[in-house]
Amino acid sequence: MRAAVQVMHVLERVPSAASGALVRARPDGSLAGALLVERGRVCWAMSQRSRRLTDILVAEQDSLSRAELAAVVAMCTRDRRPFGETLIERGLISLPVLHRALLRHTCEALDCLVRDDAESWAWRAHSGYGYHPMLTFSPAELLAGVRALAHPMLAAQARDRLREVVRPGQLGFAMERAAGARLPLAQIGCECVDLAALGDLAAQAADMMAVASVAGVAVALAELDAGGACASWNEGNVSFVVLCDGDLAFNRLLAQMAMVSAVATSA
Amino acid sequence: MTPLADIAAAVRDCVVAAWVDTRTGEVCERVVADARHDPAFIATALDVATEVMRSRERPPRMVLLSPHHVHIVQRLARDPHRVLVVVCARSANLGLAVALVRSFTDAGAEAA
Repeated sequence: MRAAVQVMHVLERVPSAASGALVRARPDGSLAGALLVERGRVCWAMSQRSRRLTDILVAEQDSLSRAELAAVVAMCTRDRRPFGETLIERGLISLPVLHRALLRHTCEALDCLVRDDAESWAWRAHSGYGYHPMLTFSPAELLAGVRALAHPMLAAQARDRLREVVRPGQLGFAMERAAGARLPLAQIGCECVDLAALGDLAAQAADMMAVASVAGVAVALAELDAGGACASWNEGNVSFVVLCDGDLAFNRLLAQMAMVSAVATSA
Repeated sequence: MTPLADIAAAVRDCVVAAWVDTRTGEVCERVVADARHDPAFIATALDVATEVMRSRERPPRMVLLSPHHVHIVQRLARDPHRVLVVVCARSANLGLAVALVRSFTDAGAEAA
């Protein structure tokens, strides 16, 4: 949990919609690692102590060989071509696999960086853009990714449950119910929601469920000011929040939640 | 028939309909439509509804689902401290029950 909180603090250092790098050096002046940001989204993190992207790609996709990857790395270095896009162009991996591997790599690097015995972070702005927006990550994705490193089973179960419940156009996230654990453990569609808004929603959902559970309530639905609707419920050690927007948002979410409440817990 | 009795009769399988004041927790008016329910259950349901809506920052309308009951809670637009609470059995048509409570608070309740 501590690493995830530190990652949150690091992400809060990134100026809104800015591009640049957060760099962390060791007391001897050597580079501990860095976090690259474009338009407020994280595109890459590197740590001297984390796994390489090629190791993660091989673990993600059995059909990829180290020799193939080494050849692509050499070619991309020589011709100054983007590595990920080249892998896709050559049909070696799919976009979802690349996205997952890059997210995993960035989260592992961040997790190592915040644990590193290094000095404080320094922000260096730049104006060059080079990363495809689909291969960059929001704070919510990164926090859920870092939390999943510590709790892989719980995060996978929460993500599977969200996939069952969250419909196209909706967004949802899951948090552990333990004290001080109000950070996303899994999320769907929260890429554009800032961390403060997620925190507010999580706090409100936890408060509501704490009160409502006295009457055996398993699911709480609320109409939001802008016409949207929000539902929250608990399953075991995990709290879920789903947000719905648009016409008849409240009624649609109500129909969905009538089914969810069969497995939700009021305690 | 009072307006509150009207809504209690209109919502199928209604257990209780009540006006509560979220500032004081006072139950201003109450119609128990199904007397077979334990009075303690009704009292707890009204307490919880009051507590959930106590903060004016909370949304104007909420629905709480328990395994056997639906708690529909709606703030009155002209007086946000005044909240209508309708508790009915889960067997009822959820969407219809919510729509009835909404139209009641939007229109007829203004005169209550």
